[in-house]
Amino acid sequence: MDPRFTLHQWAAWAPGLTDSAAWQDWFAAPCAVVGEDLPVLSEMPAMMRRRVERLGRAALQVAYRALQGAPACPAVFASRYGDMQRSVDLMRQLANDGAVSPTAFSMSVHNAFAALFSIARGDRSNYSAVAAGAETAECALVEAIGLLAEGAPEVLVVYYDEPLPEPLQGFSPPGEFLRAWACRIGPATESGIGYTLQAPVAPADVDADADATTAIPADLQLLRFLTGAQASHRRVVEGRQWLWRRA
Amino acid sequence: MPALEDEIKSLIIEALNLEDLTPADIDTEAPLFGEGLGLDSIDALELGLALQRRYGLSLSADSAETRRHFASVRALADFVAAGRSK
Repeated sequence: MDPRFTLHQWAAWAPGLTDSAAWQDWFAAPCAVVGEDLPVLSEMPAMMRRRVERLGRAALQVAYRALQGAPACPAVFASRYGDMQRSVDLMRQLANDGAVSPTAFSMSVHNAFAALFSIARGDRSNYSAVAAGAETAECALVEAIGLLAEGAPEVLVVYYDEPLPEPLQGFSPPGEFLRAWACRIGPATESGIGYTLQAPVAPADVDADADATTAIPADLQLLRFLTGAQASHRRVVEGRQWLWRRA
Repeated sequence: MPALEDEIKSLIIEALNLEDLTPADIDTEAPLFGEGLGLDSIDALELGLALQRRYGLSLSADSAETRRHFASVRALADFVAAGRSK
């Protein structure tokens, strides 16, 4: 049997898209996401909040919202590129005067936001930080499903990304914008969401499928499926086919 | 010396990204780390770097002397006044 899970709570943030109603409208009719607004992140003490920039604020904001009063649980933080702006800034500092900011250095690791989230809440549950290329969102869910299979009553999944900064922007996938989303999932005994991973069957189907979905980032296609009512969501990447099904 | 103390308070706020504070909020005599302002070990390193850049001071990483200099804004001001090279 496929491993299955159910969605208990979710939250997402992007400039101008700050609640679930706004996201459902956007999923129905995606348009360009622009703006400079900053997540408030009032849940986190100011002395910790000062350590994170915009991407971290977005990731932490949705993490708090998706957890919302639930007991502490393991967390999977996931991002394809993470806080690359900070890494680029650090390398510039290093090249320019040889001294780097200790704060920026401490926050530049891939698990920095997850660590801050656990420290701020005094939560000793395990967390991991996933980066798995174009399939990062899918792999984060697989990691979470594994934790459920090991007996975790719930798992928090947090995804965040933003366009790559200069001089790396040429590597940025098209249609990128700053966004973060999080969901809390639990095991499903009967009906729930499951997935299979296999080699694609018919290349013709694949192309037809891809055309319809390239308009929005892949992680948001997955979130749209998780939070919507579609029966299935298929994605082919690097010769593999991810098939998510609601049953 | 009060001018230097205020300058150091501004430097602390800027270097440590203390978004909600003004120099007037920082007590010249109060401890900077742990209690008082509540800064941590990463802040100590960041502040050390900022002092180095601004005043050309050199600091040793973990000496008891450095701890004394970092005790309060007043102690830092004395240290900067005595040891600055810019």
